[in-house]
Amino acid sequence: MLEMFEYDFMQRAFIAGIIIAILASISGTFVVLRRYSLIGETLSHSALLGVAVGLVAEFNPLWSAVLFALFAAWLIEYLRSAFSLYSDAVLAILLSGSLASAVIIVSLGGAFNNSLFSYLFGSILAVSSDDIVVIAVFGAISLFLLLLFSKEFYFIAYDEEVAKTSGIKVDFLNLLLVSIVAIIIALSIRVVGSLLISALMIIPTIAALQFRVGFLKTVLISLCIALLSVFSGMTLSFHFSLPSGATIVLCVLFIFILSLVINRR
Amino acid sequence: MKFSVPIFDVKNLSFVLKEQTILSNISFEIFPSEYIAIIGPNGGGKTTLVRMLLGLEKPTNGEVKIYGKGLSHFNEWYKIGYVPQRASLVDGSFPATVLDIVNMGRTSQRRLFSTLSKSDRTFVHDAMQKMDILDLADKMVGTLSGGQRQRVMIARALASNPKILILDEPNTGVDAASQKNFYALLRELNKKDGITIVFITHDIGVIADDIARLFTINQKAIICNNPKQTLSCEEMSSLYGIDAHLLHNHRHEH
Repeated sequence: MLEMFEYDFMQRAFIAGIIIAILASISGTFVVLRRYSLIGETLSHSALLGVAVGLVAEFNPLWSAVLFALFAAWLIEYLRSAFSLYSDAVLAILLSGSLASAVIIVSLGGAFNNSLFSYLFGSILAVSSDDIVVIAVFGAISLFLLLLFSKEFYFIAYDEEVAKTSGIKVDFLNLLLVSIVAIIIALSIRVVGSLLISALMIIPTIAALQFRVGFLKTVLISLCIALLSVFSGMTLSFHFSLPSGATIVLCVLFIFILSLVINRR
Repeated sequence: MKFSVPIFDVKNLSFVLKEQTILSNISFEIFPSEYIAIIGPNGGGKTTLVRMLLGLEKPTNGEVKIYGKGLSHFNEWYKIGYVPQRASLVDGSFPATVLDIVNMGRTSQRRLFSTLSKSDRTFVHDAMQKMDILDLADKMVGTLSGGQRQRVMIARALASNPKILILDEPNTGVDAASQKNFYALLRELNKKDGITIVFITHDIGVIADDIARLFTINQKAIICNNPKQTLSCEEMSSLYGIDAHLLHNHRHEH
């Protein structure tokens, strides 16, 4: 099993995968508790639009994915507050709008090929050294901010209004959380793929919640589940030549079902 | 009034929502260590009024001042403990122990980069002791009874060491014995610790002996400075929209 680490691309894939598992599971806890689960799906499609622009314009698509996901996150928050639109409707409009634009751009630019396929479903072959640097730098910033404001995010997730009346800057922190989530989703697109990343964010937390333990233990269980899924998914992906994102998501789903069975009451 | 600086100074407050007047031209002051009860029919604007005091709703007209400052300039929100209406209706799957919840009461006062300090822990411990929930510290909040949850939510409010406690009918899903203890506790917080209490309730009969003033809210406000005599039946009926004799009788039963 260890022979897979003799390949440089596998080493890079595992480094990226471990960073993403940490980021996705910790941010995912707040996303689920905040009832923001659908945001991940929308932002990942906005990131895909960024990838399409990057592919056609021929620069590192990871950068444009980060920019487009961030812009989409801010647009969602703006539309929610400035217009009395239903939150889920805003997410659905942006999701389909981003996907349609991405397909048109890639189609016009003639970049409809394997490269795009790898961004949709993730590929362990696709992680370059440059990608590792981008993932590590942005990942470190995101993790730092998540941990720095974790108590505030937790309070807001539990009761936004009471958090507000106790003096916590709720509007600013909501914007910060969706921005961090946008960055993490864009970073994950290489390994897990845009269609599957929100599963790696949401499912480990949902599985951890089945254990009915306090906040810190829930985060730790979610982290372990995400790491285990990424490790086993990438190993299976290597040995059976499968898209890494899909195998990772199937692994996390399997662990989720196990946690349901273990905690059945 | 013997106090000079009011905690809340409310002037000509109105709130109109979709061309419907919820509150009209309300003015009052609330002073330190007062115990105020707010009553009124459902939909009469009690909760809206409290939400405006807390800055959660913007008034259509008028002004709210806290400690002499407009809401946008006030930055000592930790002095106000708020227990909302749905406080005891907890999402059962939320991953929180009782200690996790009470610790939230210290969150807004912590410094960036720091965890809970020794004094934070002392405030949390004292609040839990006062609410008699120390033995529940590691229990998941979703597994508690309505009365226990209510005590947890008040402990969270007390953990910030507030000068004023605002409670919006926090009795939903709470049994009668727990409610009785709860009223005794509010009395103690007010009399012994000097905490100002603003309490939206339907149980005016039970707490009539404890409160300093009674605000009856139904679009307009009638402030009763001597609640032991309460309002006249006619005034109460016109405001409350029910037969006020029932309220008076209810009071004498306790």
